[in-house]
Amino acid sequence: MYDKIFPPKRIALPNGKVVEQKRSRMPIVLVLLFLALYYSIQFTDFELSVLLDRWKEFFFIVFEMIPPQWDYFPHIWQPLIDTIKMSLLGSVLGSVVAIPVAYLASSNVVKNRALVSGTKVFLSLLRTLPTLVTALIATFIFGLGTLAGTVAIFIFTLAYVGKLLYEQIENVEMGSFEAMESLGMNRMQAFRYAIFPQVSPNFLSTALFCFEGNVRYAAILGYVGAGGIGLLLNEGLGWRDYPSVGMILFMLVITVFFIERISEHFRKRLI
Amino acid sequence: MIEFIHVEKIYSNKVKALQDVNVKIDKGEFVAVIGLSGAGKSTLIRCINRMHDITSGKLIVDGVEVNTLKGKQIRTFRKRIGMIFQSFNLVTRTSVLKNVLVSFVPDLPFWRKVTGIFSKEHKIEALTALDQVGILDKAYVRVDQLSGGQQQRVALARTLAQQPDIILADEPIASLDPVTAKQVMDDFQRINEELKISVIMNIHHVEMALQYAERIIGVRDGKIVFDGKTEAVTQEVLDYIYKGEREVQQAVEGEQAYV
Amino acid sequence: MGTIERQLYASPNHKRYFTFITIILLLLFIWSFTAVNLQNVESSGWEIASTIIAGIFTPDLELLLTFTTQGVPYLLLETIAIAILGTVIGAILAVPLAFLSASNVVPSPIAWLTRLLLIFIRTVPALVYGLMFIRVTGQGPFAGVLTIALISIGMLAKLFVDAIEDLDTSILESMTSIGCTTFEKIRYGIIPQLFSMFLSIIIYRFDMNLREASVLGLVGAGGIGAPLIFAMSAYRWNEVGAILIGLVVLILVVELGSNRIRGKLVRG
Repeated sequence: MYDKIFPPKRIALPNGKVVEQKRSRMPIVLVLLFLALYYSIQFTDFELSVLLDRWKEFFFIVFEMIPPQWDYFPHIWQPLIDTIKMSLLGSVLGSVVAIPVAYLASSNVVKNRALVSGTKVFLSLLRTLPTLVTALIATFIFGLGTLAGTVAIFIFTLAYVGKLLYEQIENVEMGSFEAMESLGMNRMQAFRYAIFPQVSPNFLSTALFCFEGNVRYAAILGYVGAGGIGLLLNEGLGWRDYPSVGMILFMLVITVFFIERISEHFRKRLI
Repeated sequence: MIEFIHVEKIYSNKVKALQDVNVKIDKGEFVAVIGLSGAGKSTLIRCINRMHDITSGKLIVDGVEVNTLKGKQIRTFRKRIGMIFQSFNLVTRTSVLKNVLVSFVPDLPFWRKVTGIFSKEHKIEALTALDQVGILDKAYVRVDQLSGGQQQRVALARTLAQQPDIILADEPIASLDPVTAKQVMDDFQRINEELKISVIMNIHHVEMALQYAERIIGVRDGKIVFDGKTEAVTQEVLDYIYKGEREVQQAVEGEQAYV
Repeated sequence: MGTIERQLYASPNHKRYFTFITIILLLLFIWSFTAVNLQNVESSGWEIASTIIAGIFTPDLELLLTFTTQGVPYLLLETIAIAILGTVIGAILAVPLAFLSASNVVPSPIAWLTRLLLIFIRTVPALVYGLMFIRVTGQGPFAGVLTIALISIGMLAKLFVDAIEDLDTSILESMTSIGCTTFEKIRYGIIPQLFSMFLSIIIYRFDMNLREASVLGLVGAGGIGAPLIFAMSAYRWNEVGAILIGLVVLILVVELGSNRIRGKLVRG
């Protein structure tokens, strides 16, 4: 299409051969990018002057958070642990449920086309729902508290791990699966002994990675009433009690840092 | 003409890579350097364009004493010497043509260097170089889409675009399969014969060396242990180069016509 | 002991380690159940759920298809604009930070400090930044742009560093043999390699930012999030349905497009 509007440039070599050079797409990409940026600035009321004028306000809050209010710690402890529990429970359950769902979504093990594409569409729909929205809906159904948060994390984990898992299953070496089938196993058994061992290290690694991210996410779920430390964060910010917010953030950073270290350690061993 | 006079190279870890090397290579020769891994083949070649410094002795290339060159002089000097590597060393995420054009970069005016916009003349030169190695049709393909043999040809075209007097090749076919290796060697031979460019090549495959080179230099433990026409290379000579058996030595010394 | 038997015992014994880890995991798992309290669950949960689902599947088509500033298309455009501008600003800021945290570029204390800063930036929830920026710019999409920019920095810088460490430096050797200066080596040896990698990373992050931008409205930082939350708290489920459908379609389309472009950039 593009080549028809802008015909390729012809370069003649001294020995008479002619080479056609396709026109670079760079100019049109640049124009599009420029337009996108221009309209984005229009749409979002972005104004550099405001930013240059008032950026100090941002650091004003940052400096109010330092030093954090250390004796707020006892209040933080329980919600923080709740946050971790929520993400752990949601991640484990989500990852486990992801296995059968991913099995159904893999076109190389399940032969029913409709079932496979149906499951795939279901997973991508789940994945596009923002976790915060799922959590909010969950609070309407399961009431305020950690259960709603756990459900939201469960759904996100199921969608995320499920997608990565079925992609791995579909890329697996099928030879051993066929060999197992020829030994007289049914598809389920062959999956268990031929495919699952191949994808399980990656699966565990993905699940761990997802758990890492979930701890981070779980921290804000309290914002919509879905339990955990987000509730305190919401209160602190609402009352402009920035030293307490600073303490919460400080604890959160430390927790996330340690969980990341631990999970990274195990993920490295897995691969 | 390349002339090694009592050249020695000692690495910082006291390993003697080259000891008392005396070699003269005339313009237009096709020389293959053979020997075990670690014998000093690579060092020998890399001293010629000053990728390595020599410790003592003299190395003269076309009347220029290489070890006295400094900074910008080295870079100007290197432009006349092309080099081919085992690992192709291409930017795989850009097109073949852009890779070849890199050889013109040192001579560009500053604004062209920054923008990466090349003149039509340079493009024609680069395309001609690609034509010489038979991959003109791949000019606008990304390098990572090409096979190993084709990638080595891109590297060869990049070197040809430099219009060098000498091409140094460091194990150019070591990572290629036998068929493509042969094609690349054919390219080297054609370049050597038609463009009268000297080729000095490190090579593992002895049969290939014997088939294509006019002259063989055998290296063992940093010393030149054989230097002669390809026809003079017998099984005994190879055993001497690779194993260093003593009884062969006498047989060889009679044939060292070149030193 | 026969050879076979010896081989049997010689098999690497990960079992104990494995059991140990499994037991710990199991204990943690059981322990985490204590977080779930079921007292708050209302018995009407299922009824509410079915109302919600019914509402979502009968979306408010008028809202979905009007092009005023209240309509879904406009709100989606605003969300996209926030994501685009935020991603671009974040990417510009992330490049110097990436080089500052690459231990092969700067002395290790500086790299270490920059990494610590990046971890900190990454961990603070987006909503907190949103509230902080509202103080700078007032409510509206501008605050959203700044928030997206800031939360992108952490991940972008980390992935940029990985790309920098993955550089194929063999090309530099051959450029040396051609007689190139350091500047020429960077311009023609390194930038072409990094450019497509960085671009691919930025597009990936844009994809994520679109999702982030869609919830920032919760704190008043613009985008489609605010009307979504309002509709939800007012139990107007057909409006929720209209907004969610728009959002899901947008995110799926963008994801499809971004995967395609990235595949082209990385594999050619």
